[in-house]
Amino acid sequence: MEDQKPLTEQESLELITKMIHKAKNGFHESGTSAILWGTVVGIAGLVSFSEIQWNFSIGFDIWLITLIAIIPQIVISIRQARQRKVVKYEESSVNAIWLVFGISIFALSFYNNVIPGISDKFFASDGFELLIKNTKTGESKHFVPYILSASSLFLLLYGMPTLATGIATKFRPMIIGGILCYIYFLISCYTPSKYDLLLNGIAGITNWLIPGLILRKCYLKDRKENV
Amino acid sequence: MFKELDPILHSQLRLAVMSLLIAVKEADFTYIREKTNSTAGNLSVQVQKLKEAGYIDVIKQFKDNYPQTTCKITPKGIEAFEEYVKALQQYLQAGKEG
Repeated sequence: MEDQKPLTEQESLELITKMIHKAKNGFHESGTSAILWGTVVGIAGLVSFSEIQWNFSIGFDIWLITLIAIIPQIVISIRQARQRKVVKYEESSVNAIWLVFGISIFALSFYNNVIPGISDKFFASDGFELLIKNTKTGESKHFVPYILSASSLFLLLYGMPTLATGIATKFRPMIIGGILCYIYFLISCYTPSKYDLLLNGIAGITNWLIPGLILRKCYLKDRKENV
Repeated sequence: MFKELDPILHSQLRLAVMSLLIAVKEADFTYIREKTNSTAGNLSVQVQKLKEAGYIDVIKQFKDNYPQTTCKITPKGIEAFEEYVKALQQYLQAGKEG
């Protein structure tokens, strides 16, 4: 592009439109993070469902892989920050949404683990004991409260950042993934816990893995065109 | 009464740079060079002119031992760009009516 060429008003307007279009459309996320988390949550959900469905154990809590996945995520984030040539306005907001989502997921896991024991202690300190009664045998025993359909809460949480990102970046696969997640949440309110785990796994695949693979394809296409 | 078109912006490469920067939060020099299909020397001169006018901020730093130049539009630059577009619209409107 030369600078000496005189511009007419019409040419100026066309140039502005062209450059804004280039800035808005000529860039795609690599999709690596979405593929990573889609795979991790997908595997964890499907394995935990299979363990209950077919009565076997892999010997450890498969959901622990979500903790291990933080390490490659940190590496990916550092590498992307180094390679980044442009920062879009919506990127800062989207990154903030996912950071808050990460904190919320750990807060919810903490809540699910802590609340039953704490509630039991509070009942005891007020002089109450929760009992559960078997209506067939008439036997009553001590009951430690638990969070009912806890997996549904995770589905609710998964849907929020996915749909928000999809809307903010106008990326249809994530909008669809986010909407599907709210549908899974509604279904999970009526299904036994093992199916909620299955829905968690499916949510990982439709929310992040599939949109991530689509992003990856667009990113590789972009790179090929820009070489 | 027509507003005069800002001579800083009414130049092909500087206008292209400003149009790119108005759409993003910040951009690397190499990204701007790729998108504007310009040479590094020419772009460097025009970026300097935009910086002197106070329309963009230029941050020079080292990233992994390599020099990196990042450009970002300033509030003054946004205002000037908006005024420029308004003036353009006035000219084009007058052209249609005349």
